[in-house]
Amino acid sequence: MLRRVLLFKPSPLALALALVSAGAGQTVFAQSPEFIQEYCVKCHNLDDYSGGLDLEGLDFAHAEANADVWEKVIRKVKAGMMPPAGQERPERATMDAFAVQLEQQIDSHADLHPAAPALHRLNRNEYANAIRDIFGFDIDAAALLPQDDASEGFDNIASGLAISPALIQGYTSAAMKVSRWVVGDMTATESSKSWNAPADLAQDQHIEGMPLGTRGGLKVTHNFPLDAEYDFSIRAGGGFNRNTNIKTIVMLDGEELTVPDLRSFRLPITAGEHELVVAVMDMKRPAGVNDIYSVYNVAGGVNTVEIIGPFNPTGPGQTASRERIFSCYPQSNDEERRCAEQIAVNIATQAFRAPVTLAELEPVMAFYEQGRQQGDFETGVQQALSRILLDPRFLFRFEEEPADVAPGEAYRISDLELATRLSFFLWSTMPDSELLNVASQNKLSDAGVLREQVLRMLADPKAQALVDNFAGQWLYLRALNDVTPEDSDFDENLRQAFIEETELLFGNVIAEDRPVTELLTADYTFLNERLAEHYGIDGVRGSHFRKVAYPADNPRRGLLGHGSILTVTSTASRTSPVIRGSWILGNLLSAPVPDPPPGVETNLDGDGSVVLTSSVRERLEQHRSDPSCGSCHSVIDPVGFSLENFDAIGAWRVKDGDSDVDTSGVLVDGTPVASADDLRTALMTRSELFVSTFTEKLLTYALGRAVEYHDMPTVRSVMHAAEGSDHSFTALVMGIVQSPQFTQRIKSDPNAAVAVNTAQ
Amino acid sequence: MANYISRKHLSRRTLLRGAGTVLALPLLESMLPAATAFAQTAAGASRTRFGAIYFPHGATMSRWTPGDEGKNFTFSEILAPLEAHREHINVLSNLMHPLAYGPGGATGNHNRSCSTYLSGAFAQSGATPTLGVTMDQVAARKIGQETPLPSLELMVEEASLSCGEGLSCAYRNTLSWQTEISPLPMQNNPQVVFEQLFGDGATPEQRDARREQSLSLLDSVTEQISTLDRKLPSADRNRLDSFLTDVREIERRIQQAAARVTDDIAVPGKPTGIPDDVEEHIKLMYDLQVLAWQTEITRISTFMLANELSGAVYPGSGVRDGFHTLSHHSNSEDAKARFALINRYHVGLFAYFLDKLQNTPDGEGTLLDNSLIMYGSGMSDGNSHNHDPLPIVLAGRAGGALEGNRHLVLPSGTPMSNLLVTLLDKLGVEQESFGDSTGHLTI
Repeated sequence: MLRRVLLFKPSPLALALALVSAGAGQTVFAQSPEFIQEYCVKCHNLDDYSGGLDLEGLDFAHAEANADVWEKVIRKVKAGMMPPAGQERPERATMDAFAVQLEQQIDSHADLHPAAPALHRLNRNEYANAIRDIFGFDIDAAALLPQDDASEGFDNIASGLAISPALIQGYTSAAMKVSRWVVGDMTATESSKSWNAPADLAQDQHIEGMPLGTRGGLKVTHNFPLDAEYDFSIRAGGGFNRNTNIKTIVMLDGEELTVPDLRSFRLPITAGEHELVVAVMDMKRPAGVNDIYSVYNVAGGVNTVEIIGPFNPTGPGQTASRERIFSCYPQSNDEERRCAEQIAVNIATQAFRAPVTLAELEPVMAFYEQGRQQGDFETGVQQALSRILLDPRFLFRFEEEPADVAPGEAYRISDLELATRLSFFLWSTMPDSELLNVASQNKLSDAGVLREQVLRMLADPKAQALVDNFAGQWLYLRALNDVTPEDSDFDENLRQAFIEETELLFGNVIAEDRPVTELLTADYTFLNERLAEHYGIDGVRGSHFRKVAYPADNPRRGLLGHGSILTVTSTASRTSPVIRGSWILGNLLSAPVPDPPPGVETNLDGDGSVVLTSSVRERLEQHRSDPSCGSCHSVIDPVGFSLENFDAIGAWRVKDGDSDVDTSGVLVDGTPVASADDLRTALMTRSELFVSTFTEKLLTYALGRAVEYHDMPTVRSVMHAAEGSDHSFTALVMGIVQSPQFTQRIKSDPNAAVAVNTAQ
Repeated sequence: MANYISRKHLSRRTLLRGAGTVLALPLLESMLPAATAFAQTAAGASRTRFGAIYFPHGATMSRWTPGDEGKNFTFSEILAPLEAHREHINVLSNLMHPLAYGPGGATGNHNRSCSTYLSGAFAQSGATPTLGVTMDQVAARKIGQETPLPSLELMVEEASLSCGEGLSCAYRNTLSWQTEISPLPMQNNPQVVFEQLFGDGATPEQRDARREQSLSLLDSVTEQISTLDRKLPSADRNRLDSFLTDVREIERRIQQAAARVTDDIAVPGKPTGIPDDVEEHIKLMYDLQVLAWQTEITRISTFMLANELSGAVYPGSGVRDGFHTLSHHSNSEDAKARFALINRYHVGLFAYFLDKLQNTPDGEGTLLDNSLIMYGSGMSDGNSHNHDPLPIVLAGRAGGALEGNRHLVLPSGTPMSNLLVTLLDKLGVEQESFGDSTGHLTI
């Protein structure tokens, strides 16, 4: 409790008590210039310039004047990294008090700095979500738009979202295609779409969501463009009735198909989405016969479903998108223009995320007229929609500047702009009609209404976007798709189970509004049979995931025991204490360690010319004995060593090859650790580091820009305000969406030369 | 209102029809994007096609490097499929990319192999991915401006989504950087590439109609942007400006493309999507490059056969191991031999590309005569992640600027950038240095 007081609400008394005996009988106060002289400036001066930092001559009493420097100091001190091991170090409590005092000094003078991100454009994922929300139509954005590059760890960072000719070409062609698809394109010619099972997907067991009694298989939801005929071509390893004991079944929207040859057939299908399931039923062998189904391309299982069409189209059909678009339909020529206007206003209001007037839609209606002249009413509507989808107001998230604010002054963004920021943060898409309504009435800036809307949005299924996009990137779940472990126990099913487990834990913290520290401490997890076996946990049967309480004394608990993170921080062939250590320091504690200096040999696996007999640990210890390596590795490696009981795909082990696993080490702040449990305890003892990191990452994602030193007072105040709920997820979100960073921006100086640093 | 479109529309079309040579018009020049302004697309610019092809994870060098040197060398096991094109082949040994070495672990090293290949620059960590203009794009500024597409960027696999070690995925997902902060996305869908080259639609008529539609859309957006501008922060206006620049660039490309596809070149059917079979996919991407060069819709292309860390399995190679996994052969002779089979398989597909170029007449010779193609990797040995010596082959005669039938053994550790700047010479884009070059090669 004392520590907590010291960390968050240090009373003057507590500070005054933070004395330290320094060397030869002299006593210095943590907040005094002498303290800094004694413990910091000895190395961080202009001559020695350790870590590229000179603290000499900085006015400690006015830390706010050099907040950029002091924020770095705070980070290192709180992480226990400074003063470094081997140097004289005051009590940890004293160093904490020092950091707190710096924070207080900076926070009490904080010039809140709601720097706005660069002009956001929709990323590929947001574009697809917006199309889904407007038209009820799913697109494969990857086939339409160039990929977005991630920076700051996320792919929604405005400055990282480059504009390129390929992007404009993509936007143009997507606008034309999507508008044709949603209306129904009678000129469509056939194209093919193949749905492939991943090469190493084991199909020996039932897969969650597939029909009972089947094993393996593929389930696809395919969007059929027109009422028309379509060719299906299905490739499955061994199950096409050559063996009477094995039967391949194909189901369309839940109905089993009976066609002469399941390998290739043509069917009339109505326009819109339909679900196609292809799976294998084995009448004889029980599930789990690996030798037949484990790798599809050897013998069993389903390989590919290819759908080609449309052929002989009969009409656009009754699709969800047509229902959304045609809120009216003209009965005579006279009614056409008015109906088209109604459609344009309706769709544009959604697409532009703000009420629009007919006058603003003049360019859109010009395209209606052009299309109407070239074809019919629907062609006109389709061309109007294409213009809406290429409109900069759809593609960019503009925030206008008020005329009556002086340059350099902060101002509140409009309620409609706030609604857009909110929905892209929580949903990765545009506001829905309720949010838009509230914002149009200027009610969203009301704290109570904002809170109500945030709660509603977090409870909406669309909040899954936070799991997919925020957690998926922060916790490297997306990276898991790129790893190729060499362990023969690893396959596609395990990969998917790893991702699912971590997503479900994160989703649970949101849904149940748990403290975010539960991500580290959860004494439960989400397992299916495959994953439970991998973890050595009994009693979980079947392919579906369920919440499972860890047995007492189980070494897992929280993210540190998740196969996803343990695998993504390993190399293909072995664990990497260095990658694990630096991942935890950087991603969970905001204490990134620098890259190795240039020219240093970092390859511990040799050039392959000699057979390595030493363990990774021995090689690392050798490496650490070099002082230029040791200064960082003594910080990184012990963190990684403590997880050595988990192998390169997260399975439990006590031996590494022939030698016993050695998990012991000493953290940079002197805490001895010898297990994942010890590491977890150490992290939780100073849980504010994790919470602060979580808050920073979430703020980065929410704003779509890098969090800078001048945002740190806000990070701290968000944390502080959430203390009452033990830093529950919702409380942190509430703090962020009410912060000046989220609700305000600074009026630009129209005369200032603008730095061109916006990715183009 | 309808006039609004047709007026703008008509005026520009009329201008084009009346003008004949589009680029000669001063008015249109002022509408060209900034990238074009400093390019001298003067008459006499090289018509040599340039391609850079990349494979990740290096090669089994002992089975790549020919045993003898100079003219009439003996093709190595891996390069044997190129022997039929001997007169158009130069094998270059002992090149290295020093800046591909860098801090960080194996993942960063893979990213750097790819990003350094054509840039000779160091991939920097930080919020905005920063590298350097790549050699293909230096060429595109000069010889790409009079073609509808300045360059074409192609890959086979999906772009990687997260790339580790604080390095942006941009470093792994493309070979081409237009400026030091503008990575150009690569496209892997043949259908999309076909549309980039020839337009969207199943028939020439449909493609024409849609080309017109997209031009009027872009016209209309251009018109609108000036009205949006006023209330925006200055930085946002800047960003909108670059949007506008790219809108105009796309308009320019669409207009040029319309004039490019002539009756004597048969445009094949539009591909229906990404083929399941990786070999078919690679061949289709090569086919599209042949078409793009033949029609001169572009003269420059870059092509990445697989991404760094790719786990691809190539059934046609006779090897069942994953590409990256096998590259960590632990110096087992057996594994190295199998890895060489994948290398040789890729070279065989490269020979397929050369066959097609050789069979396509161009000017007084063949398209292969008028091409300069660099085929290679940014890594040497995939097991130890080194970048010295790199496996590099040149194909084509660069319109007569390059001899063939040679194995050129350079001094050990010759900077790869020396080759890149020399290739620029061969394309008529002479400059003193490029990337970390220390001189030009006499080849």
